[in-house]
Amino acid sequence: MFRLNKIIPVDSDYKFLNFRKHFYIASAIAIALSLIILLFKGLNLGIDFKGGTLIEVSTNESSIGELRDILAPNFNEVSLQEFGDENTVIIRLQNDNNQESIKTVEKVKVLIDDKVTEFRRSEFVGPTVSSELLWKGFQAVSFALFAILIYIWLRFEWQFGFGAVVALTHDVLFTLGVLSLFNIEFSLSTIAAVLTIAGYSINDTVVIFDRVRENLRKYKKLELIDLFNMSINNTLSRTVMTSITTLLALISLYIFGGEVIKPFALTMIIGVLIGTYSSIFIAVPTLLVFKFRPQEEDEVN
Amino acid sequence: MKNYPLWKIFIVFLLLSLGVIFAVPSILYKEDTGNWYLDNRLNLGLDLQGGSYLLLEVQTDVLIKEEFENFSETIRIISRENRIKINNIELLDDELKIRFETSDKLDEIRSSFLQKYRSVKFNLNNNIATITVDVLYKKNIQDSAIKQSLEIVRKRIDESGTKEPLIQRSGRQRILLQLPGVKDPERIKNLLGKTAKLNFHMVDDDDSKSLSLNLAPFGKMIIADINNEEIKYLLEKKSKVGGENLIDAYASFDQTQGHAVSFRFDTTGAQKFGKATSENVGKRFAVVLDGVVITAPVINSAITGGSGIITGNFSSQEATDLAVLLRAGALPAPLQIVEERSVGPGLGADSIAAGKIASIIGMILVCIFMILIYGSFGVIANISLIANLFIIVALLGTIGATLTLPGIAGIVLTIGMAVDANVLIFERIKEENLKNKKVYETVKKGFDRALSTILDANITTLIASLLLFVFGSGPIKGFSITLSLGVIASMFTALMLTNLLVHFYLSFTSKKEINL
Repeated sequence: MFRLNKIIPVDSDYKFLNFRKHFYIASAIAIALSLIILLFKGLNLGIDFKGGTLIEVSTNESSIGELRDILAPNFNEVSLQEFGDENTVIIRLQNDNNQESIKTVEKVKVLIDDKVTEFRRSEFVGPTVSSELLWKGFQAVSFALFAILIYIWLRFEWQFGFGAVVALTHDVLFTLGVLSLFNIEFSLSTIAAVLTIAGYSINDTVVIFDRVRENLRKYKKLELIDLFNMSINNTLSRTVMTSITTLLALISLYIFGGEVIKPFALTMIIGVLIGTYSSIFIAVPTLLVFKFRPQEEDEVN
Repeated sequence: MKNYPLWKIFIVFLLLSLGVIFAVPSILYKEDTGNWYLDNRLNLGLDLQGGSYLLLEVQTDVLIKEEFENFSETIRIISRENRIKINNIELLDDELKIRFETSDKLDEIRSSFLQKYRSVKFNLNNNIATITVDVLYKKNIQDSAIKQSLEIVRKRIDESGTKEPLIQRSGRQRILLQLPGVKDPERIKNLLGKTAKLNFHMVDDDDSKSLSLNLAPFGKMIIADINNEEIKYLLEKKSKVGGENLIDAYASFDQTQGHAVSFRFDTTGAQKFGKATSENVGKRFAVVLDGVVITAPVINSAITGGSGIITGNFSSQEATDLAVLLRAGALPAPLQIVEERSVGPGLGADSIAAGKIASIIGMILVCIFMILIYGSFGVIANISLIANLFIIVALLGTIGATLTLPGIAGIVLTIGMAVDANVLIFERIKEENLKNKKVYETVKKGFDRALSTILDANITTLIASLLLFVFGSGPIKGFSITLSLGVIASMFTALMLTNLLVHFYLSFTSKKEINL
């Protein structure tokens, strides 16, 4: 049978850590750029976090321009956008006033009723709710990072926890930077995606750390850098395999899962790529900062 | 296979059969059947079956303001009785400041005020009185308002004909509604958006001067017509009778005026209404709903029977809805919709279809890839993956979880991540294969070595997904549930099922070496 199992040879021996400075610099630049773009451009907040009204409609023949001509004179801030195909249009309306917004949906429906075959969905989020959702999302991400740190600290030594959280923070910031760069909508489901990325990336990192721990016990005389390189290579095949299967599922979700789920799938795809990179090139090299070798100290004593 | 413990085989087959058996209702049946077995199926979330999610906030500050207005009214009355002049009354955010002309007799005013409102703070400083309320007082007002509002919202929704609504309190002053299958959310929103305070006031048609100046004299008020804001009425401020005395209201039809709402008063209401109408034959009375005049007919004769009819250019739907509102009663405070998510049935069906396609294609891609990489072992992993999906669906069905669109995303993601445990095991076996010659020993070592890694890796994912459940709202909770169940199921299938299948495979093919 045709087999691909030699993509990553079982006895691969790539010297990842010998080039760690390059990766440090690359990641530092990526993070700096992410922070700059987040600071100056910001995220493309969806109505979950910004408040406002969103209406999705199917039209028969009416063009987006026709709808815009009808709506624009009646509202201050209205934006229309094709959603998936040319017969589906998303209408976004921004309003400062709560009460006004809820009437807005009704007003829009009355105005364009004869141009539209179906009102597919309407969402309205008031300003108090949107700020609460943002705060809750922020809490969820911070608590997740913290809980993972505690878990790793309990299961490994604290240095591993440090490495994992450095890698995680890197993943989250980098992903947010990419979201901002490509103007991908940031909504409640994006928070879910970011948390899942955190879970996925830590999953990857833990698998490699696990091997590092095992090898630390096994090869007591080996140079740390060689030992880390060896651990990465031991698990490299698995890292690549799992990333590929996860990406296959996500790509299928992105292409076939429908318009609503697209930003989620895209965020996940970006995150999985970044997470895989950081497990190998960030999490493990961070361990080199600590010149630890618990067993070695025991032997000396 | 000789040495494989029988109990393990038994457990694996037991769990697998349970998985398949309990996945069947979710896969095959859509309707409620009343059968305990067939009801173990997935509920579809509002985003998949269509419907409305509404979050309402009870505007309790309005009530607190009203309470302060009551205070100020009481103070005026008491000081008039005591012949003390008030210079001015100032209503601030959280306190009422009253400046009296003198500081005489203020203690008496204070004690008679406190007789009426026991738990209110009344502080005197020379001729200035400050009235404040504490947090508990406010909380009591809020709590009773929310309880009443819940009751009335429930009545209104029930009367509107919505099936299986979920109505519950959320946080301190909010009410959460889930209305599956609602086709016209605007109608529901209109039903909920009205306080529905109904009052009957006498119209003053003699004083046309005040009306033209748009300045109501003492004891009167000017109110606009519901259909035309230009038309104003000068009404007596004190109402003759109100909606609290209604015992029934229903949509009816009037020969001359079209759609109408018929209503009936209780005994007290009937007496009040009878008295008012018999004293004012020939004059007009106005039906005022939430601060606008619906209709203002002339009283032709005394109405003593306690029932009547309200007309006023209604459509059939409007008449029905007004009757619903009047039957359910008035809300203690206005409700504000602070969040709404409505999905039409078309989008829901599309999402389900897209989700199915994405899952199936994702699954096929992963399966093909696994076979390309691991050959026969890939087939084993794929069997585990399919078993895994059955178990997830069975678990979701038996715990009565709700499947949402993010939930489907969770399942698709699980497909990708579920093979991870298998991959970890196979990679270990591959490594062990280089050192060992005996196949069973290699396999055993592979599984043993992979165990701690699998646990560590999956528990971290579970932590993240647990936090999603705690902090996430609505659909996101659905995502975290499917992801968590997927992770747990994948640990079982990898450690037990894959293990069993690998042993089966090795014993049936009697392989002497592992080709991974």
